[in-house]
Amino acid sequence: MAELVVLEAHHIIKRFPGVVALKGVTFDLRPGEVHALCGENGAGKSTLIKVLSGIHPYGSYEGDVLLGGEIAEMRTVKDAELLGIAVIYQELASVPEMTVAENIFLGREPTRLGIIDRLKMEDEARKLLRRFGIEINPDLTMRDLGVGHQQLVEIVKALAKNGRVLILDEPTAALSESEVQILLQILRDLKTQGVSCIYISHKLDEVLAIADRITILRDGQSITTMEAARATKSEIIRHMVGREIQDLFPRRQTKPGEPMLTVRNLSVQGPPGATGLRNISFEVRAGEVLGIGGLMGAGRSELLMHLFGAWGKRISGSVDLAGEKLPTITPDRAISDGIVLVSEDRKRYGLVLEKSVGFNLSLSSLDRMSRMGLIDPTGEHAENQRMFDSLRIKARDMEALVGKLSGGNQQKVVLGKALMTRPRVVFLDEPTRGIDVGAKVEVYQLVNRLTDAGQAVVLVSSELPELLGMTDRILMLHAGEVGGTFVRGEADQEKLLAAALGQAIGSLEGKEQA
Amino acid sequence: MTTVSPTEPAPEMLPYAGPPAQQRGVALRNFSMTIALVAIWLFFGVADPAFLGPRNLSNLAVELSITAVLSLGMLLIIVPGHIDLSIGSGVGLFGGIVAVLIFNRSWPAPVAMALTTVIAVAVWLGMGALIVRQRIPAFIITLAGLLIFKGLHWRVIGSQTIPIQIGAAPNLVSLLTTWFLPPLAGFALMAAVWAVIAWSEVRSRQRRISFGLSVDTREVMISRLVLWAQGLLLFVLVCTQYRGIPLSAVILGAVAVAVYVISQHTRFGRYLYAIGGNEEAALISGVPVNKVVIAAFGIMGLLTALGGFMQTAYAGSSTTTIGQLLELDAIAACVIGGTSLKGGRGTVLGVIFGSLIMASLLNGMTLMAISPEVKFIARGAVLALAVWMDVKLAAKT
Repeated sequence: MAELVVLEAHHIIKRFPGVVALKGVTFDLRPGEVHALCGENGAGKSTLIKVLSGIHPYGSYEGDVLLGGEIAEMRTVKDAELLGIAVIYQELASVPEMTVAENIFLGREPTRLGIIDRLKMEDEARKLLRRFGIEINPDLTMRDLGVGHQQLVEIVKALAKNGRVLILDEPTAALSESEVQILLQILRDLKTQGVSCIYISHKLDEVLAIADRITILRDGQSITTMEAARATKSEIIRHMVGREIQDLFPRRQTKPGEPMLTVRNLSVQGPPGATGLRNISFEVRAGEVLGIGGLMGAGRSELLMHLFGAWGKRISGSVDLAGEKLPTITPDRAISDGIVLVSEDRKRYGLVLEKSVGFNLSLSSLDRMSRMGLIDPTGEHAENQRMFDSLRIKARDMEALVGKLSGGNQQKVVLGKALMTRPRVVFLDEPTRGIDVGAKVEVYQLVNRLTDAGQAVVLVSSELPELLGMTDRILMLHAGEVGGTFVRGEADQEKLLAAALGQAIGSLEGKEQA
Repeated sequence: MTTVSPTEPAPEMLPYAGPPAQQRGVALRNFSMTIALVAIWLFFGVADPAFLGPRNLSNLAVELSITAVLSLGMLLIIVPGHIDLSIGSGVGLFGGIVAVLIFNRSWPAPVAMALTTVIAVAVWLGMGALIVRQRIPAFIITLAGLLIFKGLHWRVIGSQTIPIQIGAAPNLVSLLTTWFLPPLAGFALMAAVWAVIAWSEVRSRQRRISFGLSVDTREVMISRLVLWAQGLLLFVLVCTQYRGIPLSAVILGAVAVAVYVISQHTRFGRYLYAIGGNEEAALISGVPVNKVVIAAFGIMGLLTALGGFMQTAYAGSSTTTIGQLLELDAIAACVIGGTSLKGGRGTVLGVIFGSLIMASLLNGMTLMAISPEVKFIARGAVLALAVWMDVKLAAKT
């Protein structure tokens, strides 16, 4: 019994009308093991999880799921929970108005004579949090926590149900570096307690740091399972895409032209409770990519949102667009002036999910496609089709609902909508968050295409390699202020991190304001 | 993009489970609504054969026109995710103002109508501005409007009964519900309507084919056009048995075409659906959200005034009960017709169909002299049932 197995998926086939999502997936999970699933978006990871967690009920797929050697007939999520399988999804499922303790015990509140025993609940919650080394006050409401801490609470909530198998779907997509470390430490502790994890992530560094074994899915098939200790990043990527990607960051530099966007001494007051922005100056030239980095809450997204007219009140400072003063604006004015924003939260700020791909693509460009308010359907369709083809959006056709597409393809629709406005300045806020390696490279290629065409790009990213690899200059923010500015080639991860922490060493601040 | 394999096979797509489920939901709704309408007509037809007589059907057409004109306005409010509870009181108020101007002040009807319409649009634009700029929920603002307009209505008419015309002399307002198209003109109009429908069906089909989009088979399109022809022909035949096609039905047709074009073929209409689907994304996409919502309320004001003229003309005079609860009929008609109260979804044809169900119910109950108590209860039950169905079907899609 050397190879004891907790959970086994044996040649799972899952068909949907018109598509076979899983074409034979086999893998097994050992006790106390972290088993990573890697694959591009649409490779079948989500479908597999749904099979393992009872969302696709027993009988709707072919092949067997074995738990402790017996066939598991999970017809509902509840069945799976009873068998000890808990899933933590990318999207949070907590109640923002309730406290941390209430969320952890939601649906299983400890009661005395039918009345919730609040003291006991808070005490238990505190113990649980302490056990996993998380410093969160259980009396706080979820709303008061950052996304990262909310995610940690979600995990504690799942573990409180005494799960044997924990499935984590992109758990770190919204976490900061320190939160990621806490999460990985929790998973290591769980291993010693015999809990097994299925870990899904696009961040290969994390996967290599935490996983014992890695199974690669591609096109609905399990391609290979390897020991993480012996695996390399490039090997994983090769299996994922089916061929080698030579260059993860294919930045092609172009000669910068005229200044497109000039920001001088900008100070902005945010809504109550939010950090404002103080005395920020920078410049982006045509054909140039400016990277903006910083820790969570440093004001990266807020800066973009403000320049786009969707956040905060300007206290002082000036913004020039191609040499002309840009007044305080609204998003619709910004777009007609040639500034466009691709938000980090595509479901919230990017897409009308229940509408079609075409509806979303043209939404920002209808002015140009209309005569006296009437939309010209032929013109609209032609532009949509061109964008659809050039971005290689994978959908049945332009009338497919955007909400049904995979994350990478949804992101392409958001990008397509932005590009269709024919912008001069493009703000990209975390454009590669939660999308797979192949789609990432496509986004980077797109950045090159934009700068080749003389457009200016501002790229916000929390991944330092992306900032170093894809930008020409980097502006690091720290608590709403400039922590340092760097030119490509002069920066490295340590310098950037120091600037993000407010300890700028190699700062070149002021140099560009000539 | 040379580094990544460019031609990935179809399974790269997420399992495509969308439209089938949605179509099932829509089909189920259409089916059950048709059954409901047939059941209502059968029930009243058996209970009182006069229900299906030409005279009553002609009345029904007028009543449908009033309900549907208001419901179409409501569609433009609900699609971006708002609600208007004040239109019933508005109908009373604007009918009252016109009646007073004509009967007490002897104003020419067209002038009175024009002035009242301007007031209505201005007031509704104001409500819309309050809702979006001050961030007060539409529910509250229009609930306040319901009370305020009702009070103003009663003040304007002095809680009296004010006729819409002096003596028996017809005017533009009274003609709204008493003038009928002569038979020949009726036939010609319906033929023209059918021709326009057929032309747009064929053109849109050709366009979809040239775009490479899926289309219905030729047979389905032809049978749909035959159905239209039968419906229109039946309508004009029934109408000519009485006094011809009522002017109000022609007005409804015009309003329906206008709202259809606005909702499906204009930038403004797209924006309404985008706001209802995801307001934050719409804003970031450059949709002038505030302006669009205010404009939708402006159109609602215009249609409220029109509905007020028609309803008051149909009653012959402005009284304190004119317009009462019409807002709820309009909301029910929208929801029955497949408009989502959460916003983002709803069609003109659906709303007209929903209006037909509501108007048939009320007409039938009035014909059978059912007591007002029971009528209230029935209206409430239908409203609750419609919203329940909306919730049920929304969960499915």
